[in-house]
Amino acid sequence: MDTQQPDPSRHEEFVALYVRHEAAVFSFVLAMVQNTADAEDIVQRASMTMWRCFDQYQSGTNFRNWAFQVAKNTALNHLTKRGRDRHVFSEKLIALLADESDDRAEQLDARRRALDFCVEKLPTTERSLLAGCYAEGSTIRAFATQAGDTPNKIYKQVNRIRRQLRTCIERQLGLEGFAG
Amino acid sequence: MIDDELQDLIEKSLNEVATEEESRALEEYLLHDIQARNRYLNEVNLHASLRRRFSTAGEAPVATDLADTNTPGRKLGMVLALATLLILLVGGISLFSPAPAQTAVVAQVVGAYRDADTAYTVGEAVHPGVLEITRGLLRLDFQNGARVTVEGPARIEVIHEKQMTLHRGLITATVPETAIGFVIDTPSAHVVDLGTSFGVSVGDEGLTEVCVFEGEVEVSSPEADRADITPQLVREGQAIRTSENSKTIDSVAYETTRFENAWPVNAGVLQTTGSMRFVTPGPDFQPGNYEDNEHIVVFPERRAFVAPESIRVDLVDPGEYAKSRYRDKPTLSPSRRLTSYLLQLDAYPDGKNPNRRRSVRGQITFAQPIAGVITVTRLLKESEAVFGLPDVAYPTAREIEPRPDGDERPGFDTLILAADRRTLIIELQENPGQLDQVRVLVEAD
Repeated sequence: MDTQQPDPSRHEEFVALYVRHEAAVFSFVLAMVQNTADAEDIVQRASMTMWRCFDQYQSGTNFRNWAFQVAKNTALNHLTKRGRDRHVFSEKLIALLADESDDRAEQLDARRRALDFCVEKLPTTERSLLAGCYAEGSTIRAFATQAGDTPNKIYKQVNRIRRQLRTCIERQLGLEGFAG
Repeated sequence: MIDDELQDLIEKSLNEVATEEESRALEEYLLHDIQARNRYLNEVNLHASLRRRFSTAGEAPVATDLADTNTPGRKLGMVLALATLLILLVGGISLFSPAPAQTAVVAQVVGAYRDADTAYTVGEAVHPGVLEITRGLLRLDFQNGARVTVEGPARIEVIHEKQMTLHRGLITATVPETAIGFVIDTPSAHVVDLGTSFGVSVGDEGLTEVCVFEGEVEVSSPEADRADITPQLVREGQAIRTSENSKTIDSVAYETTRFENAWPVNAGVLQTTGSMRFVTPGPDFQPGNYEDNEHIVVFPERRAFVAPESIRVDLVDPGEYAKSRYRDKPTLSPSRRLTSYLLQLDAYPDGKNPNRRRSVRGQITFAQPIAGVITVTRLLKESEAVFGLPDVAYPTAREIEPRPDGDERPGFDTLILAADRRTLIIELQENPGQLDQVRVLVEAD
């Protein structure tokens, strides 16, 4: 397998590009598969494929677009294997989401930066709630069990905090006029 | 109202509590409304960012002293963690099982084994890595449309969807326009396809032969020392040889015999038995050039072609061909994608035994179902205009002569479409100086 490794001198270039776009890739994959654990698994696999196939990527071209394609294929493969235990988005919808995630990448980037600011401004109790639900390996359900609350109650709280964050993000970006 | 419903569906999806119906309802919204998709992508983006923000190692589930963990520090930590991870990967230490997207799929197997007792199976995903083929024939369809048939014993390595290495053995490749630029490396050559069909064999000491059936390829030294020699264009009907020692690209005689097992598989044929010989294209690829008393010769014609008009054929259902009237012939509707093959027996008068009469028998099995078989002269002419190759001069054929009902005498031709709809069984009476032809239209894959 060693002979298929790309030129090691391009490793830094790859890491730089990957780190810059990893958030966008993760967000896109999550939109496709609607499951955080699956999305994390897929992004890890996709990152390996990206490095392995980095020869195919030409410096200076759109890395994000290329990374999305690799991630999309990895996800489709994963979804096919996963079978029918829940509804899987059609390839048609996935293609639309891929195009729009790419088209709107700058906007989505800006939203992520605004979010960092908005999270800092949250009251401590709300931040701890998010930290509990979004910690690595955790889920809202798991956190509810741990905290001795019903999942439903926590879902409602998280939904509310997310809506608050959305309003904050849109205010940050000067979008509140049509954000609703 | 609709907005609230959409918001509710999105939140359920994020919280991973949506039922199957709810997930379908969400998909309906998203498919038909760009605003809904924007909203969904924004919400997922927020959700994903929170996960990334709080899942970083080091952040306690219940944050008590937030001032200590400032954002830039955490981000740097993540970058470093990622970089470490990548360095581990590059070093060959994998933290999780590698299962990248499938690069190719096993599309056809003819007795192909990976070792003494494990056979390859059709539909198997092929990921980057080494494949051993101990015997038999294996057809790989790459994701970009390139088709490669490997004849065992062989050792290949799939690099990615546009590149493979042939370490040892023999392959034939068909590369459509979508996959131009497909690369095959061998120990002594770097072969870049320029839209074509060709064969590559690698023998002892990396001795490589490349034989171009159609189109052209570019051959240069292996990538490692590419500067060594100038790339050479190898055109249809040409063949070259390279070796690890000599570092030159030498022209050799165009000889396709060695590729005659692998090539048919490439062209959609599972197997031929008896006196059936599959012709590899080349400069003399004209039915008129194949006088052969021993074999029924098979020419691949148009592939995956949609006929602009309906095609009249002689036989569509399993059974034996019998004569019928033109107006009773079945027709194939124009919308179907079909691949055409011409089967021919072109016997020539044998000097020693000019009046010799004997029959030639053979059987051919296609990878896909047969849609129709054509044999009468009029229908051969009609279909030739559609499925025949543009630059090929087709000789006029004699009709095959099926046995009339109840006739027990020897000496008739037999044409049977087997019940599997993929196999054609043919027995033709040699008729020196005359030409028998059968055109077979097969469902395109």
